[in-house]
Amino acid sequence: MKLNRREFLALTGKTAVGAVIFAACGLPERELIVQSPVDLPEDLVRGEDAWYATSMGDFSNGDGVLVRVMEGRAKKIEGNPDHPVTRGKATARYDAVLQLLYHPDRISSPQLRYSKAGNLVNASWDQAEARFTEALKNADGALTVVTNPLRGHLGSVASKFAAQYNGKHMAFDPVEQGVLHGAVKSVLGQDQLPTFDISNAQTVLSFGADWLGTWGSPTQFGVKYGEFREQSDRGYMIHAEPRMSLTAAAADLWLAPVPGTEGHLALGIASVIIDEGLVSASNVAAFEAAIPGGVRNVTLSDVAARTGVDADRIKKAAEHFAEHTPSVAFGGGSAGAHTNGSFNLGAIYALNILVGAVDSKGGITSNPGSAIDDVPASATGASFEAWEQEIANWRAGNVETVIIRGADIVHGMPNSVAIREALENVPNVIAFGAIHDDTMDFADLILPEETFLESWGTEIPEPGPGYQVVGTQQPVVGPTISRDESGLISDARGFGDTLLAMSDGSYGRDMESLVRGALSELHSTGRGSVSASSSSLFTNGALQRGGWWDTKNSGSSSVGKVATSAQSANYSETGSLGEGNDFHLVPFLSNSLLDGRLAAAPWAQQTPDPISSASWSTWGEINSIQADELGIKEGDVLLIRSTSGEIEVLAYPHPGVRPGVIGIPMGQGHRRSGRYAEERGSNVLSILVDEKDSETGALAWAATRVKVQRAGKRVKVPKFEGNVEARPIEPGVPVLVVGIGETASDVQTDNHHLYQEQFLGEGKESGDHE
Amino acid sequence: MTTAEFGTHNWGMVVDVDKCIGCNACVIACQAENNIPINTQDRVERARSISWIRVERYWEGDFPDAKARFIPIMCQHCENAPCEPVCPVYATYHNSEGMNVQVYNRCVGTRYCANGCPYIVRFFNYWEPVWPESLRNHLNPDVTVRSRGIMEKCSFCVHRIRRESRNARSAGVEIADGAVQTACSSACPTSALNFGNFNDPESKVSKMKEDKRHYTLLDQFGTDPNVIYLAKIDADKKVGAGEAATHG
Repeated sequence: MKLNRREFLALTGKTAVGAVIFAACGLPERELIVQSPVDLPEDLVRGEDAWYATSMGDFSNGDGVLVRVMEGRAKKIEGNPDHPVTRGKATARYDAVLQLLYHPDRISSPQLRYSKAGNLVNASWDQAEARFTEALKNADGALTVVTNPLRGHLGSVASKFAAQYNGKHMAFDPVEQGVLHGAVKSVLGQDQLPTFDISNAQTVLSFGADWLGTWGSPTQFGVKYGEFREQSDRGYMIHAEPRMSLTAAAADLWLAPVPGTEGHLALGIASVIIDEGLVSASNVAAFEAAIPGGVRNVTLSDVAARTGVDADRIKKAAEHFAEHTPSVAFGGGSAGAHTNGSFNLGAIYALNILVGAVDSKGGITSNPGSAIDDVPASATGASFEAWEQEIANWRAGNVETVIIRGADIVHGMPNSVAIREALENVPNVIAFGAIHDDTMDFADLILPEETFLESWGTEIPEPGPGYQVVGTQQPVVGPTISRDESGLISDARGFGDTLLAMSDGSYGRDMESLVRGALSELHSTGRGSVSASSSSLFTNGALQRGGWWDTKNSGSSSVGKVATSAQSANYSETGSLGEGNDFHLVPFLSNSLLDGRLAAAPWAQQTPDPISSASWSTWGEINSIQADELGIKEGDVLLIRSTSGEIEVLAYPHPGVRPGVIGIPMGQGHRRSGRYAEERGSNVLSILVDEKDSETGALAWAATRVKVQRAGKRVKVPKFEGNVEARPIEPGVPVLVVGIGETASDVQTDNHHLYQEQFLGEGKESGDHE
Repeated sequence: MTTAEFGTHNWGMVVDVDKCIGCNACVIACQAENNIPINTQDRVERARSISWIRVERYWEGDFPDAKARFIPIMCQHCENAPCEPVCPVYATYHNSEGMNVQVYNRCVGTRYCANGCPYIVRFFNYWEPVWPESLRNHLNPDVTVRSRGIMEKCSFCVHRIRRESRNARSAGVEIADGAVQTACSSACPTSALNFGNFNDPESKVSKMKEDKRHYTLLDQFGTDPNVIYLAKIDADKKVGAGEAATHG
């Protein structure tokens, strides 16, 4: 149709009038839709997604998760609402694992080194298996299988494989939990780590363990913390740690003892409770039986002087703990990482005996043993003492073959053990992994390993929820073809499957059949969360839900004694702390990288640290007033020197650190680990001295003294803080704080003068400004 | 307080600051869900990182009485949003479900909206987003990857709302309370973040916002946000004494 100019203008005018009338009758939003027929892409939901339940072993303590999968690709990892540990919630680390699955530097195929000094070359799985077989030929009695602490079937397979060759299975954990396991065993008589009924407690008293961030089961504890705060009588939380961790920040009362004095702080709290008669005589008797000598020689003033915590604060903590019950006390992390670690944790856990919290609601709850025969429900790293002996064997050439997975021992061991030289003396080093790590530089054979998203297994969470749980792990995605279709991103195989393929077959054919067999065994017990008429239906039900649990099967405690011989090994020389440049080093697990096992993931690298807000780097946290005295400013490059070595960190002063203490996160300082982690930051683990817990031989990783010096340069700390202009969210205060029973409105009124002072000048009112 | 009721739903969030532990689970869940580009070290240092939700940390007091206070901040989805009237191309507008919506393919990148936003929750794409080829596998197909030159911000995970709406429509039922969860509220281990429908008086968020601790951020600006905060409780605070925190 042809239009002349007059007709075109008339038509346009009518259309416009019509549009206005039409729009006036509808919602304003519709007007916009008439103007632009383009929907938001978010309005158009494409494709169907599938959510698979599985368990996350290597990057958590056995959390049950759901993985969103679309077109064969994993898109999201969330907590499994059915799983009794995670209850649908997550940590900042879950999704980062996706980036290991699809990492651009993922090992694509097996790699071989034909001589110790040679380069790695790509190989086929046939060549790799031939090399593996060769390495096992002379390995009888001279084989060591090194893994991270493994529970479930993977742990069972690793141990049986080592046993088949009369070798050893040794677990490595840079932040050893052996002291914790020992204390729990000696005080509470439990083989598994207990759980804590935080949800129903009125007072939580914790020492050293960053349980809301990185310690134990943070997702489980986070959910419980939410419930703890939601109680009609809001719970009260006390946390003792020399550096303010995420957990210390959440506490109502933060105590910052001199590192290594946490056990004495616990005894000081006990002595106040006993002296003031706050608990029954029978509880006192039970406590004194557990702590030989009780607290007869403990005085509040002595404890205050030794721990550096004000007597008033100790008294307040003690009274709250004893008077607002149910109460629960627990500890771990840096509190157990001293030469007197066993004593510290023993004294801390014994506090539960004093207030009657053992196996009671709102107290400490024991976990039962494994529901499956021969499958470990508990795992911990071998002691540092055992590792020193083992590494000496490697160095002496007494070990023929070392198989390593899930443990970057070159990155995680202190310099003092000279792990590199020892590995060079092992004829066959076989390393499994998804991304090339520092240890693989010393491997003769590298085998690409499936992540937990691609492989079968079982996982028994530790600490569990107080009853038997078997989490299932299943492949939620298959091998991924690269986007240019040139091949697989990684031709990986499972660690368990590979060991079983190389074994004599007496303990299983492959991981899938082991998992299915175990589920069939559970079906035959006739108990637990899944009921089905046949074994196959039971298996499907368990896999759909992410596992099996039996709420009726709980554990029990038998109160024992604290290993007090360790008391004599209490941390000494604390008098000089904070003088000059002599500092006590408190390393801590990074909230996003942990000990470095997630360093390859860019999401983990970019996540701001909760306290410093720093990312992509290694920083040192020191007390802000002490920093001023020493002339240290934020971003100053600091040389941190121990008798084991030296590293550089960026200074980050803040008020949440005890003077004399420097807190440094673990996780960085890799030579390898992919493009996002290589040569980034410093490895604080390398400079730890070889001090050990006197009872267990565990590495006292929080007992290192260092000299701190400025290197003479200053750089910008890559941190989130300051990226956004801080504005007063409420008049005068960025975060509105109310007291018990106060309304937000009351406080806003009270705070109004602060707003006046901040913006208009002291003493002025809004009408006064010119 | 929110007032809009002109649609069936009025989506909003209640943030219980007393439960926030500052763990950043919400931040990474949001990054993964919404295809937010990697905040490289360079971008962090240049204050150009993109984070639809952030956890701010403020210091209060000195050792040994120091306290760290956390508060998660995201787009407040204001009823009277300062960002909306300034957009010359209607790229940002308020929809009938209480959300402040950003239409990427209308945005021409004037950044007027970011200037107008007092909460600083709008982010400009200074660069084309780049992921190594293999990392593109984890991108969420429900969410557009934003190109260089346009603004982006928290969408209240509108694609999740759409998906759940479609499911409810197919089943012939109403969307149940709690059925729609944003990525951040879903991840939050302590349930500090709660998402729901303010138009439903029985919803969890409607009940929470009646708590005597409720307030809105920068209330004095009259933006009327759809994000309600419940104040942090300090058990040892003397009632009636105002407190101030300083930003670090």
